[in-house]
Amino acid sequence: MNVSGIELLKIRENLWEIPPTGKMNVPGRIYISPKMIEKHLRDDEALKQVANVAHLPGIQKYSLAMPDIHWGYGFPIGGVAATDLDNGVISPGGVGYDINCGVRLAKTNLELNSVQKRINKLVTNLFNAVPTGVGASGAIKKLSTADLKKVLRNGSTWAVENNLGSSEDVSFTEENGTLKNADPDMVSSRAFERGADQVGTLGSGNHFLEIDVVEEIYDDAAANVFGIFHGQIVVQIHTGSRGLGYQVCDDYLKILLQASNKYAFDLPDRQLACAPIKSKEGQDYLAAMQAAANFAWNNRQVIMHLAKKVFKETFNQSDSELGFNLVYDVCHNIAKIEKHKINGIEKEVCVHRKGATRAFPPGSKMIPLKYQSVGQPVLIPGDMGRYSFVAVGTEKAMEETFGSSCHGAGRNLSRKKAMKNSKGRNLVEELKQKGIVIQAKGYRTIAEEMPGAYKDVADVVEVMHKEGITKKVAKLRPLGVIKG
Amino acid sequence: MTRSFKFIDHTADIAFDLEGDSLEELFIASAEAFKISVTDFKCGEIFDSIEIELTANSKEELLVNFLNEINFYLTTKKWLCCSVDSIKIFIDENYLELSAELSGIKLNPEIELKQEIKSVTYHQMKIEQKNKFYNTRVVFDI
Repeated sequence: MNVSGIELLKIRENLWEIPPTGKMNVPGRIYISPKMIEKHLRDDEALKQVANVAHLPGIQKYSLAMPDIHWGYGFPIGGVAATDLDNGVISPGGVGYDINCGVRLAKTNLELNSVQKRINKLVTNLFNAVPTGVGASGAIKKLSTADLKKVLRNGSTWAVENNLGSSEDVSFTEENGTLKNADPDMVSSRAFERGADQVGTLGSGNHFLEIDVVEEIYDDAAANVFGIFHGQIVVQIHTGSRGLGYQVCDDYLKILLQASNKYAFDLPDRQLACAPIKSKEGQDYLAAMQAAANFAWNNRQVIMHLAKKVFKETFNQSDSELGFNLVYDVCHNIAKIEKHKINGIEKEVCVHRKGATRAFPPGSKMIPLKYQSVGQPVLIPGDMGRYSFVAVGTEKAMEETFGSSCHGAGRNLSRKKAMKNSKGRNLVEELKQKGIVIQAKGYRTIAEEMPGAYKDVADVVEVMHKEGITKKVAKLRPLGVIKG
Repeated sequence: MTRSFKFIDHTADIAFDLEGDSLEELFIASAEAFKISVTDFKCGEIFDSIEIELTANSKEELLVNFLNEINFYLTTKKWLCCSVDSIKIFIDENYLELSAELSGIKLNPEIELKQEIKSVTYHQMKIEQKNKFYNTRVVFDI
């Protein structure tokens, strides 16, 4: 099949290959259904970007894409690539501007009926407690440079040390909320300035805090281990490293553009600028990127603490009564050094996940002990009017996708088209009719982020479920949303 | 002195095409497109101005740096750039310098911001000169 000038060979019903041509070092492989190819990839440059990523020096096995693939910068969103540590590269284009953008899911002991009565008050209180919108700031006091350095070095442990979380929260965070080789000295003063007052803020765009009810359980055993049950109230937080992370990406894109010339890499796209992982430029970016990732984990931890406080006050419950605890926190924009089997031999590689979620299997020592019997929770948010999913990682993900899966729905309409489609409609009322209360900084955000602006996340999750990369555990339905 | 910008429909982010009869006019057009991307606020009389100086190794890098500078002032200094009062670009082969005076206003509750621009990207950016006009596409990651 030829799609937008790219030849696709069918490997399985939902797995397609781009054979290597020109200077591609490996084939491309895309997990997607035929229906989604027709619907979403015909007028998209994303397949070309999968082929472009295959040009990266030292790329291993395949340039991969998950079913939520869409056009990005350098890598497509939904792109995954592992590179060899000795002769491979690291690229900010494989991480994105919002370093460690990710999702955290917290559970409660509350059930639907007790929350429905107070949902308006709860959403208002959350909106007042968690700063949202452009350049949002001031959730907690502005951090000194010394404190911010500690955040960059220690990630969400900083929040715990400052009574903004518990050590249990940290243990249910990917990498325990801290990448150990982070170096704050590799982060520019401008990035410090952008991040100093943004700890505990959501930002704008597709970031959100959402109150959900667990609507359906697909895998009782996994749900039980995760502490999730039908009718339970849970909270999702989606945000990343805010201005600090954007600045780190900007700063190192410049440096790696020069490095690409210095090392004479022949790349098809400037946004794939990269440097050998073991070069000074590569190591500096890795250390700065890890620092920004730590900022993001701490950011989501502080937001969770603020949300927990609001729940406690709104329902007048103690910690033990409320049971507001972390299920898991995953990042979906990151590059990490991990061990994977390449041609049957285990070795360390640099896995870039750009709009893709780690999905480690049962038995992995990289996930919390409590979850090792079932696998790592994979959190896949949808749009604010339909549903989100919790899935679980599998051994097949380790064999085929460097332990990775999808991360969300992806936009279907431009913001302009979404605005046009919302004209003459009262979206707040429409959502209310569906039992969803929303508060945002302005109506514009609601219009731009309307449910119809996004693809159906169920299609995305189903592809990975059928292919055995991740298995569905639960479906969540939104009740209350706050956005920037 | 002629310049223009035109927004292009883009699924995830913001994109626009720029044209200017000089490099300086192209950069001024980019600042105007930036302002419209972030707010519909009409600035009126301006009292505040700042001077910026930037360097780069290519015209594209200079444009990215210029717009990122304006974005930094907006998101971090809480200061909206309303106009570019003067701008000078010096080019010596692969070394470029920009000096400019920007006029703007401190953010206040009357200024409603439409969206946060994470960064200015290099995607599809290629500054070319055709028929005495410089042109390029700019894409913002939001």
